[in-house]
Amino acid sequence: MGVSDTPTLDKHLSRQQETRTPVVAKNKDLLILTYGALVAQLCKDYEKEEDVNKYLDKMGYGIGTRLVEDFLARSSLRRCHSYSEVTHIIAEVAFKMYLGVTPSVTCKNSSRNEFSLILDKTPLSEFVEMLPAGRSSLCYCSLLCGIIRGALEMVHLAADVTFLQDKLKGDSVTEIGITFLKQPEEKKYRWKQ
Amino acid sequence: MAVCVAVIAKENYPLYIRSTPMENELKFHYMVHTSLDVVDEKISAMGKALVDQRELYLGLLYPTEDYKVYGYVTNSKVKFVMVVDSSNTALRDNEIRSMFRKLHNSYTDVMCNPFYNPGDRIQSRAFDNMVTSMMIQVC
Repeated sequence: MGVSDTPTLDKHLSRQQETRTPVVAKNKDLLILTYGALVAQLCKDYEKEEDVNKYLDKMGYGIGTRLVEDFLARSSLRRCHSYSEVTHIIAEVAFKMYLGVTPSVTCKNSSRNEFSLILDKTPLSEFVEMLPAGRSSLCYCSLLCGIIRGALEMVHLAADVTFLQDKLKGDSVTEIGITFLKQPEEKKYRWKQ
Repeated sequence: MAVCVAVIAKENYPLYIRSTPMENELKFHYMVHTSLDVVDEKISAMGKALVDQRELYLGLLYPTEDYKVYGYVTNSKVKFVMVVDSSNTALRDNEIRSMFRKLHNSYTDVMCNPFYNPGDRIQSRAFDNMVTSMMIQVC
């Protein structure tokens, strides 16, 4: 997904990898409880679930734009050549590194730009059994959608990320759908002659 | 096997109480209520001794002719009370201890639910299933 140009930059990155502590699930419970408290507080602050979902997505977007730099520094990956490769990297490397689960990837359509990640259990909603009464349209893990969207945007890939199925709402698995959109034409800047 | 399981809050009101439906439920509610006095007595008695040695499992609270009542208190003063059939003599202390441990673990999971406010009645399906399994068979 990233390319390191000079050999000195390479050495700096690999040195960073050694000194950084590995992202381990030692304080996973703390993360899960923090996220739960965040969602519960948002539910108390906003009456409508659409608002809660929207703000969770926004927060995730902010996290994703910053997290992608950390991710690229830790995993020295090559440039991806297709959307399918990108999705596989998100599922197999990123999810495993930060959440400790590996979703399975399926391609939804023939033009190869709609994919879905299927998770048997979402780590963030481990202690939530079911959504409270009156909050049935709450997407508990909207933050994850925002993170993926923000991260992809920082590597110049526009995508639409939503939840297609949710275990908390009674479906059998949790499914996150990623639809890669066409890039808008970028303005070319010309130097004034 | 347990015939009645109750979770009592710090302020001595029930968070969860369930008994086998065949029997008169009110009788069990009354038994649990009277056992709270015994629990308080045990806690205060142990408090005079070294606090380090205080155990969570309180043991047999009091026996009646048909039933035996066991108690367990957590460090946050939440009490678990279990009523078992006296005729079931095969139940050993270790089994009761393991049942209470399971109860405590399930209670911890309920507490971790971000939508559960401490002090509310427990309405978790997983907790219900665990209690049902305890009432049907010995764990």
